[in-house]
Parts: sequence; C-alpha cells; structure tokens
Amino acid sequence: MVENDLAKRVLTLKKTFDAPVDLVWEAWTEPGHIAQWWGPNGLALTVVVHDFKVGGKWKYIMPMPDGSEFISEGEYSEIVEFQKIVTSANFRPMTEGVELRALFEKIGDKTNFTFSVVHPTEEYCKQQEKMGFYNGWGSAFERLTNYLTSMVNKH
Amino acid sequence: METRRDVFQAIADPTRREIIALIADQQPLTLNAIAEHFAITRPAVSNHIKILNECGIISIEQIGRERHCKIQPDNLKKVSDWIGQFNELWEQRIDSFEKYVYQLKAKRNKHGRK
Repeated sequence: MVENDLAKRVLTLKKTFDAPVDLVWEAWTEPGHIAQWWGPNGLALTVVVHDFKVGGKWKYIMPMPDGSEFISEGEYSEIVEFQKIVTSANFRPMTEGVELRALFEKIGDKTNFTFSVVHPTEEYCKQQEKMGFYNGWGSAFERLTNYLTSMVNKH
Repeated sequence: METRRDVFQAIADPTRREIIALIADQQPLTLNAIAEHFAITRPAVSNHIKILNECGIISIEQIGRERHCKIQPDNLKKVSDWIGQFNELWEQRIDSFEKYVYQLKAKRNKHGRK
C-alpha cells in the first residue's frame, strides 16, 4: 500500500510482513543485514558508521558506476526496541534534511511495518540557510504541486 | 562563461520558487505586479524572471509597455517527475527490504529444522 502525499511532504509506505517482529527489526537494524537490502540492485553498500543508539550516527557509502560515491548518513533521534526508529537523514548528492521513521507493530507472528520519509518544511530550511532545491520542499512547492495536479486534471 | 540553465536551477532559489507559485496562482502576471510582492528591488526580481525564462519555466510576452509572465507547465512537470523518481526509489528500497526479510526468515526456518 502506498500513500503518497506530496502536499504534506510525507511519503508513507506500509507493509505487513509474514515474519515475526524481532526478525524484521534485526533485518532493519543490523549492519550486516542492511548492506544486503539498502542499495539498489547490483550496487554494493558499505556500512561505514553504525552507532545504533539515540544520538548515534550512521553512514552508508555506495560506489557509483561513474566512480563517485553516494552517501547516506544521519543520526538516530528515537529508538524504541521492536517498535520505532526515528532518524535524520542526508543523501548526498540528492536530498538533505529529511527525517525517516520506521514503525514496527507485532501482530502475532506477523509484523505491520510503516515507513515514512518526511521532508523538511520551508521554515526549517530557512533556519538551515541552505535553501537549495534538494531540501526546499516548502509552501511554494506545495502550491506548484497543486498547480500541476490541476493541470493534469484539466487535460 | 556560459551558464547552464535547467528547471532545477530555476527552483533552486526560494524567491524564484515564490515567483513561480505566484504566477501559477494568478497568471498572467506583469513584471510590476510580481515585483510588488517582494521586498527585494525590482531589478533583482527582474533578474529572477530572466533566469526563470532562460530555464524554460515561464514565458514572457510583451504587451504594450508591460511584460506578461506565464508558466510553461511542460517544463515544470520535469520537477514533479523527478520527485516521483525519488519516491519510487524508496518504494524499491522497501520492496528490497521485504524480499530480504523473507530470505532471512527462510534461512532461519531451515536452520531451525536441522
């Protein structure tokens, strides 16, 4: 199930895994496992930093075919075992200042999994004084999105 | 030196994003009408309009003494397409995670039986 609400700057993906929550949690949080699924097909991933605690940092590096590196990094702000992980995240070069939320819910032997990518508000970006497009998902952008949606509906 | 112009450069600046949104809301708008909305100088607004025009985001039509600005929706759509790709990337990553969870589960079950 996909809920894609650009106007709220949040992308939410929901899944129910036919697997117990401790296994899903382990696959999501242990570096040996992360390296297996985080990178797109065929791309190797190196987990450089993995300090899995509140305030701890993480950093993954993917070598790109052109020799450059794609870096994902962030800092955990909330960890509730088998339930919730919230972390800041920067993807360079691509998107900076997003927040990732992973929610785990034990349903017997199954696990409800909800993953959200929250893009920063324009106010936040202004504070950061880094108002490049890659982190500028502000109100102007929402109006643009609405405009484009109305254009599409007209045709 | 020639400056490269594309839609992403157009929206890299907060004032330009505001200008685009303003025109999208109330188009066509004259340069003067746009300038009234901003605290920056008219030449500064004019320069943003010029960049937006060079990036293909807006068209400018001279009517009498006024310049009227309109959105070019096709080029703007590239932006939303780009964002769509970003969301797709997450969908793929979560799919990849799901696959891995089931691999791990299968592995565990196999070891459990031994």
